[in-house]
Amino acid sequence: MKDIQHILRMAGVFVVVISGFLLVRHLLVPASFGLYGHYRAAAIDDIKALPISFVGQKECAKCHGPRVQEKNKGGHRNLGCETCHGALAAHAAAPAKSRPVRVAEKDMRAFCERCHAASFSRPAKFPQINPDAHNPGAACNSCHNPHSPRL
Amino acid sequence: MKIKMKPITRRQFFKTVAGSVVSFAALLASAPRAFAEKFFHEPPWLTKSPYWGMAIAVDNCIGCGKCVEACKTENDVPRQPYFFRTWVERYMIHRSGETKVESPNGGMDGFPPIKKSGDMMRSFFVPKMCNHCENSPCEQVCPVGASFRTQDGVVLIDRKYCIGCRYCIQACPYGCRYFHPKLHVADKCTLCYHRITRGLKPACVEACPNGARIFGDLSNPESPVSKFIENNTVQVLKPAMGTRPKLVYRGLDREVR
Repeated sequence: MKDIQHILRMAGVFVVVISGFLLVRHLLVPASFGLYGHYRAAAIDDIKALPISFVGQKECAKCHGPRVQEKNKGGHRNLGCETCHGALAAHAAAPAKSRPVRVAEKDMRAFCERCHAASFSRPAKFPQINPDAHNPGAACNSCHNPHSPRL
Repeated sequence: MKIKMKPITRRQFFKTVAGSVVSFAALLASAPRAFAEKFFHEPPWLTKSPYWGMAIAVDNCIGCGKCVEACKTENDVPRQPYFFRTWVERYMIHRSGETKVESPNGGMDGFPPIKKSGDMMRSFFVPKMCNHCENSPCEQVCPVGASFRTQDGVVLIDRKYCIGCRYCIQACPYGCRYFHPKLHVADKCTLCYHRITRGLKPACVEACPNGARIFGDLSNPESPVSKFIENNTVQVLKPAMGTRPKLVYRGLDREVR
């Protein structure tokens, strides 16, 4: 009878330590941890809930249908509206409060040359101009319609 | 103290070997699918849907940097240089064997035009971003389970759980992670997870003017990225690392690492 006392006392210590460990683990580990893998599943919802800035051209077409159609027929058909006009989610939500980027005439050459200035690095099939020889000083949109740039 | 090894008879040895073989075969027979996936790397996009993938056509990149700018706007990436979720590199390859690589401000402001000079053979732009590896080192080294791969194949970071130890940043063989100076957590491309789960394209794909970036669902054979992989010769970066990237490139030069 005396011997079993040792075992019982030891068992008591084990029960306390293990239940203590389980309690601490329960308090520290988030509920969704391990649902899909070794990570907190709720983190996915946190990331999903982040706001968007770029809204996509479908949304633009709701108000600016003819413009989008004009663009989609021309050489710039593969461009999204937001490639040139900047992120437009705020504008789509409140059109009067947030205005899209409109390239000013004085910045236009630099803006267009960012893609179209001739460079050995660009793919040869991509339309490029030599800025020094191609009507220097003239705004690009005095000849080219940005929404349908081919002449 | 002298340890005495128990002598083993031939019969016992054969028994042990036969036992291991039988138990291995039993395991294989009981869960063949799990075994196949573990040993032969069955692509998850055959069974999971959606499963997101990305492709980059190097020969379509014009180096305008609109993708870098769009990424920074969409994901609140710090505007200073050295913080990038995606960036563009310019390679200049010379006949002498010399290769120059540059990425001024990650290519965000575009690249100054160059002319073919000296013994320069080729020059091209390579957009870089997270490869969303199937076997991602960053995910494996995270000590707290803050880096993980979702059921639809995107490698993400749990900002609340990240302790900022930077182990993942140095583990990524592609240099695709950075330490966020304000949030004090590791940060990287999420493939715009908040956009793709809403049915939109990632911001860089949305902004690319020349179709250099292709995004889609690998589990759908009709998606743009599946069609791209079907119709083009594609390659991944650093295949020898065994990371199995889901980002594939067309027109990759041997100099690109």
